[in-house]
Amino acid sequence: MARTEARPPAETEARDSVARAEQSLYASVLAIRDRNELERLGIAFYDAETTLQWSYNADAVFHAASTMKLAVLLAVFRQYTRGELALDEPVHVRNKFISIHDRRPYMLDISHDTEGEVYERLGRTMSVERLAYHMITSSSNFATNLLVDVVGVPVIQTALAEMKIDGIEVLRGVEDQAAFDAGLNNEVTANGLLKLLRLVAEGRAYGEEASARMREILLDQRFKSGIPAGLPPAARVAHKSGNISTVHHDAGIVYLEGRRPYVLVVLTQFPSEAGLTTAVADVSRDIYECLAGMNGG
Amino acid sequence: MAETDLESGLKIVDGFDLDPDLRALLRPGELVEGIGGQYHHLPRYFYEIPSHEAARDIRLTPHFGLNEFLLVDLKEAARVRAFPRYVPCAIRIVAFYLERVREATGAPVHLAVNGGYRSPAHKLSVAATPHMWGTAADVYRIGTVVLRDRASIETYNRVIEDLTDDIYVMPYGHEIGKADDHIHVDLGYVTVVPREISEDRLEGPQDRPRVAFEERRRGDRRGWPREPLPEVFPAAAHAGSDEPGSRK
Repeated sequence: MARTEARPPAETEARDSVARAEQSLYASVLAIRDRNELERLGIAFYDAETTLQWSYNADAVFHAASTMKLAVLLAVFRQYTRGELALDEPVHVRNKFISIHDRRPYMLDISHDTEGEVYERLGRTMSVERLAYHMITSSSNFATNLLVDVVGVPVIQTALAEMKIDGIEVLRGVEDQAAFDAGLNNEVTANGLLKLLRLVAEGRAYGEEASARMREILLDQRFKSGIPAGLPPAARVAHKSGNISTVHHDAGIVYLEGRRPYVLVVLTQFPSEAGLTTAVADVSRDIYECLAGMNGG
Repeated sequence: MAETDLESGLKIVDGFDLDPDLRALLRPGELVEGIGGQYHHLPRYFYEIPSHEAARDIRLTPHFGLNEFLLVDLKEAARVRAFPRYVPCAIRIVAFYLERVREATGAPVHLAVNGGYRSPAHKLSVAATPHMWGTAADVYRIGTVVLRDRASIETYNRVIEDLTDDIYVMPYGHEIGKADDHIHVDLGYVTVVPREISEDRLEGPQDRPRVAFEERRRGDRRGWPREPLPEVFPAAAHAGSDEPGSRK
């Protein structure tokens, strides 16, 4: 007969609390999925304060949309850390790129409205760091493609492999229609993005200095309809969203006063006729409330 | 740059006397293959540009500064981007022709980044392009017109082609050998040996590096009196030629 050890009441209570929180989250997430008529939903979450890790459909593969820019950012700082790229190096701002599929040139459909400062520099140069900033904070496709050109897709893949990040696959730059038509797409899983952001949050993405600089850029994110929309105004979020006609994602590190940060990734896919939903913000709110409840707040 | 420095003229160096790292990047005199299978010798004689300030202040023509031909991004080797920088002596000639283009179009001519001199180590130097000779220029804007469509590029291409047969103008198009977001002009594989430097050298580093200083060619810079030209020359033909240092 197996002998069971008696657990201290406090530990048992904590385990029960976590179990209740998980059950509650699960029910809530299903409700959000149904209410928003999502085709698919993927969530991954890790809280450095409680070490609670929770996920839903976290290995499901989604179109990456602009969350792939996190992998480009990682690769830029890999090259920087290795001394192969200085952040103040000038890059020619030129709207001409080569398809990875058929090597034919293509141009992005850009304007001042979509690209702001990067568009204004057309024909001149911008520094690597400034491009990285715009790639993340205003989700500039132009800056992204310029940086993909600078570091190269193989280096992006190497960076992901070095960091042992499964679940993020970057094959091409943005708006490479020939590659898209050939089925070459950038894809992510919630677990993959969670791993990447945990490394950044914990100072393990090519060291504390590189991680800190990445966090600074991510904290300046201008699009706040995802994770931040479900949080109190005082929360700071270092994050990157991703939107196309059928997906709305957000992946970020959430900083709340008086506690260690948590990392949350929410990936959603919906029918093209449905339009943008509030599902990401809803999940973010539920996670926050769940944690607040566990902390007695 | 002080006027006295300008008066001393540009320093000319033999590429074979450069340090081994630079020589490996600039490959002076080396034979390289072009896209069409022709071979050409890379330039051997370079102007030495000591500083960013010098590049900014040295005018090759009334409207073109030397710095415009040195504007590159990280596709150029870092060592080549560091001062002192070296640019083939033929750069003067392309500047001269661009000045003619400016006159013909009646508007400032803007060179693109990576649109002037590119060393053989530049990532866009995949074959013997005249950019490696300093005899090519990529123009991305003329006046307020940004050149990124067929109409604007072909219109200005025609204006430039009508100027002289010396200039090759790349046709509009998306394929290799065509241009769709700039105007490419070049003079072919022209090399220049300034009169001040001697060519009696072996093609290897020497005990004493040989340099020369180019004379300032223009009479007014050599102290000739600025008097009205003789009546035999129509005054209008020289209008504007006595405005050194004016900027576009």
